[in-house]
Amino acid sequence: MTSVSPEQVATAVALRSSTSPRRRVVDAVFKLFLWISVGVALGTLITLLIDLITEGWPRLNSDLVVNMPSARPERAGIQSAIFGSLWVVGTTALISIPTGVSAAIYLEEFAKKDRWYNRLIELNIQNLASVPSVVYGMLGLAFIARGVLSFGFTVMTAALILTLVVLPTVVIASREALRAVPNSLRHGSLALGATEWETVYRQVLPAAVPGIATGTILSTSRALGESAPLLLVGALTFVTFNPEGFDSSYTVLPLAIFRFISEARIEFRPLAAAASVVLLIVLLGMNSIAIFVRNRFEKKLR
Amino acid sequence: MSMGDGTEGDFDMTTRQEQARPTDIRVEVAASGHTTESGEVKPRSIVFDASRLSVFYGDFRAVRDVDLPVIQNQITALIGPSGCGKSTVIRCFNRMNDLINGARIEGTVSYHGIDIYQDEVDPVELRRRVGMVFQKPNPFPKSVYDNVAFGPRLGGFKGKMDDLVEESLRRAALWDEVKDKLDESGMALSGGQQQRLCIARAIATSPDVLLMDEPCSALDPIATLRIEELMLDLKDDYTIIIVTHNMQQAARVSDRTAFFSVKVSDEGQRTGYLVEFSPTEELFTAPREKQTEDYITGRFG
Amino acid sequence: MTDVTDTNLHFHQGLDSLEHEVLGMVDRAEQMVAMAVDAVCTGDVDLAAQVIKLDDNIDRTYLEVHGHWTHLMARFQPLGSDLRKMTVLLQLNQTFERMGDQCVNIAKVTKLNEGLPRVERMVEQIREMGDLARPMIRTAIEAYVRQDLEEARLLPAMDQPVDRLNANMYKEIIAVGSNPEMLEWASKIMMVARALERIGDQAVDFAEQTAYLITGERAEFVKVGLSRSVDDSPS
Repeated sequence: MTSVSPEQVATAVALRSSTSPRRRVVDAVFKLFLWISVGVALGTLITLLIDLITEGWPRLNSDLVVNMPSARPERAGIQSAIFGSLWVVGTTALISIPTGVSAAIYLEEFAKKDRWYNRLIELNIQNLASVPSVVYGMLGLAFIARGVLSFGFTVMTAALILTLVVLPTVVIASREALRAVPNSLRHGSLALGATEWETVYRQVLPAAVPGIATGTILSTSRALGESAPLLLVGALTFVTFNPEGFDSSYTVLPLAIFRFISEARIEFRPLAAAASVVLLIVLLGMNSIAIFVRNRFEKKLR
Repeated sequence: MSMGDGTEGDFDMTTRQEQARPTDIRVEVAASGHTTESGEVKPRSIVFDASRLSVFYGDFRAVRDVDLPVIQNQITALIGPSGCGKSTVIRCFNRMNDLINGARIEGTVSYHGIDIYQDEVDPVELRRRVGMVFQKPNPFPKSVYDNVAFGPRLGGFKGKMDDLVEESLRRAALWDEVKDKLDESGMALSGGQQQRLCIARAIATSPDVLLMDEPCSALDPIATLRIEELMLDLKDDYTIIIVTHNMQQAARVSDRTAFFSVKVSDEGQRTGYLVEFSPTEELFTAPREKQTEDYITGRFG
Repeated sequence: MTDVTDTNLHFHQGLDSLEHEVLGMVDRAEQMVAMAVDAVCTGDVDLAAQVIKLDDNIDRTYLEVHGHWTHLMARFQPLGSDLRKMTVLLQLNQTFERMGDQCVNIAKVTKLNEGLPRVERMVEQIREMGDLARPMIRTAIEAYVRQDLEEARLLPAMDQPVDRLNANMYKEIIAVGSNPEMLEWASKIMMVARALERIGDQAVDFAEQTAYLITGERAEFVKVGLSRSVDDSPS
């Protein structure tokens, strides 16, 4: 057995006891606190899910999806609400995404940052994102459903109002995505003799797609969950047909759930729970598609 | 050696400093012709000519009064301490400075005799003819093939793209390493390969000038030497202007070297200016200006 | 005067020390010339032996300088006047080593000529050549140390008489006549003259290197029409 030199012993001791016990305790407590926070958040979500599923279990069957609303709880379904949501949210996406992304491109790539009107827009987009959606509902009632556009209480009206609600988020998220594209990419493109538009269209935008996709996921999810503004513009709660066009009447899932909850008869409770579960599934489905799209593009960029 | 028969005439032993300094760099440049195969001495053609060039960012003068004639098919190096404006000057040659808010120039920059800052000149067209390679390799997040093809496609290239891509990659000494990976992302290559890809991409638009802004500073020594070799090879077909903070690199690759220095004003503003512009051998063995001598021997004022 | 910081201090220190080594060689060489001429003119064999030993020192220093030079070059890749100084020092290293060898040649003749009859006239001429060569080395050292171009330019003219004396040696040999021992002695002395002539050339070379270091221009001090300072009278 080789003898250990005093130098080695000293080093071993120094390496072993470099952190005081107090520091380690603080470290551990902090970590514990973080775990608890995560636990609370997850726990709440899981509890909610379990609660919904157990309560809605009796009614989670194909009837729910296939049937139209009915005064009789055993026969009520949410098919109209599902399709209504898909129509409204789909149209919202169709309008808000191109508009929002284009606005973001203008603000990020072409606007001269020192001009006062651009600074004004910059300042106000953040404000617009925080406006309660009910306010947009009132705006929509005055100018879209009635007033100037007079579209009435239709899918198009709903889509336009929801566009107003989610547009700021789309713009902000798209801007972040565009900003995240390194300038070296733009310079490389311009140095090869590309125009500014060619650079945006062929280099910056494709590179920003993952970020933009994330932004649209967020905004679409929000649109799906909105109920207050739509109530104001006459989204009916008892609709027994699926939308047939942009000018059709409609209902949406959050409103259907609202209706079920407000019914006096407790037989409708499970329906509310079941509908909530369906809403969550549709949300998850939409998010998954968007995440899939984002991952596809991110892989191409590696 | 000394044979001393005491009759021969004078041998001029005046030092170079004692001789009259040429009043205009261009006169000297024109006088330094090159000999063609037939023995004829032709004056060298000047591709880029900066004349009393100053660059301003708003009110602040970043570079002052630069006279810089760049000779065709030579490598011209710009060296100097940081903040001396060498990158600023090189970015005037392809008008990339235009992208900076508030940037403007005084004086002229001519390309084959045409003032490139006049209104009739389209900077986009200029940039197709004057390629640029940046300090940090910046391949597009696209395939190797699409990286090289990007420039030509913009210009509406009608010929066989495969051939053009291959030729550009060969010229950039990268073909053998990527010929089986043309569809892979350009960003998956090593640093040195990425930079050669950027060179291939720049070459693909058939420029006649290549501007290189510290092209090797982000690369390891071997990748650096490969790119230097490549530059010496490319100089037959292109005129190259390189900014480098590495004196040895400038000494290795360039034919002429411009040494810039920086003057700090009382308010702390740094303005760059050209100290000396000479053939490289001369500048690094026996420079004319004391400032240059101090800089290259490591003595800083 | 602006403050100048040397960011290349280690190199410059190394360069100074290298220069010191090389100049030490030439100092020793000057000494050896004096001793060697003395030895051959007086027939002092012991003195000649000392000269040969001193040359061993020079040879050793030569190798050391070579090594130090290569080391500095590889480490620092100097430029500008630093580069010029490096090339000059490498050249001088060789020049002084050769000077040492010439002194050895002179010293060897002392041994070879032992016991042979002398020609006083030739001895005087050798002494004269020695007395001309040593100031040449001195002047060249001064010119280098003071980086004085004017002084360096004096050397070619100083070399003139040395060359002439050497060229005229053959006349002396003819004048010796037919005494075989004297002829042997005289022909060996001619080698000494040639060695001294070479030492003179080497001093001129030293001055040329100095001029290159100062001006950055390569030139050989070839022709005399400079008429700068030293008045030389034709022999």
